[in-house]
Amino acid sequence: MPEGTSEYWRKLLAIDVPPEPDFLKQYRTFHRFFRPLFYAIVSIPLRFYCHEKVYGLESLPEKPPYIIAANHSSAMDYAAVAWALGKRREELYPLVTRYYYDKPWSNFWIKIAANAVKLDTVEDFLPALRVGVKILKLGGAIYVNPEGLRSPAGNLLPFRPGVGVLAVETGVPVVPVYLRNTWKVLPADAILPRPHPVSVSFGKPMDMKTYQEKLKIKPAYEVYKEATEEIRNRVLELAANLPLRR
Amino acid sequence: MNNLSKEIKTLVAKVIKVPEDKIDPNANLFTQLGVDSLLGVEIFAALDKKYGIDVPEDRLRGIGTLNDIIRLVEELTPRPPLLKREGEKRS
Repeated sequence: MPEGTSEYWRKLLAIDVPPEPDFLKQYRTFHRFFRPLFYAIVSIPLRFYCHEKVYGLESLPEKPPYIIAANHSSAMDYAAVAWALGKRREELYPLVTRYYYDKPWSNFWIKIAANAVKLDTVEDFLPALRVGVKILKLGGAIYVNPEGLRSPAGNLLPFRPGVGVLAVETGVPVVPVYLRNTWKVLPADAILPRPHPVSVSFGKPMDMKTYQEKLKIKPAYEVYKEATEEIRNRVLELAANLPLRR
Repeated sequence: MNNLSKEIKTLVAKVIKVPEDKIDPNANLFTQLGVDSLLGVEIFAALDKKYGIDVPEDRLRGIGTLNDIIRLVEELTPRPPLLKREGEKRS
């Protein structure tokens, strides 16, 4: 395999092309009034129904750009993380897959809850990655679920390597996040949430410089895969170190 | 299989780490040979490096088999100049 394929990837991802300055505006809907109201309402069940506990929030980078890579087992995952972030949730741009925004009801809530970036992350991954690059270059933070799908029983599925591509090529830090038991509150087949304690653990930001160095001696594909695997391992570590709650 | 086809087969085999003799030119690389979308891009990065061809992104989506890749490279690489006809040589 030829080495140094990063140059080709950079061209495909338009890494060196300056993004349109007002590119982020299109994703900022309902953020002035409805979003604060939404989180004020959501905070009641999260506090008293799920007793959400947040760990490691102090290690979040002081300001964006960064990438949050979180496990995914419930439709409430993003809201649980965004609520934990407080006002800083406004710097987050979650990459939302077609599955959610094709349904009018969830599409409506996604717009209220987040600066949602609607993409076909599976079928058309290159445009999705390019949008991610633009957001990071404009100083936004990205929220991704690298598993791609909800894990029905909360176990960590393999990560798709797109997160590795974004992290290595842009060089922004990756914050691993582990959400425990959100699937017990709102599993995929449920309409109403069930009471259960939920924990959200933020890991220390991961520096991608070592992987950028590796691009000089290894094919980009292998470097992205390695980076993705390390991000997954860090999420697993968070899961292993999280205190048990009943 | 001509020389160009053989060369491309060798290159693809090296990128996807599958022995050359295991690659059926009509087999789908993604569904039958375990190539994922990122590795697919690596194949085109390798082709770009070797032949200097810039594959338009919309064409990437239509690629499934080794034969598709060979056809695409043949289409996008500049052809060698045709030999002059006998009469032209003399003049």
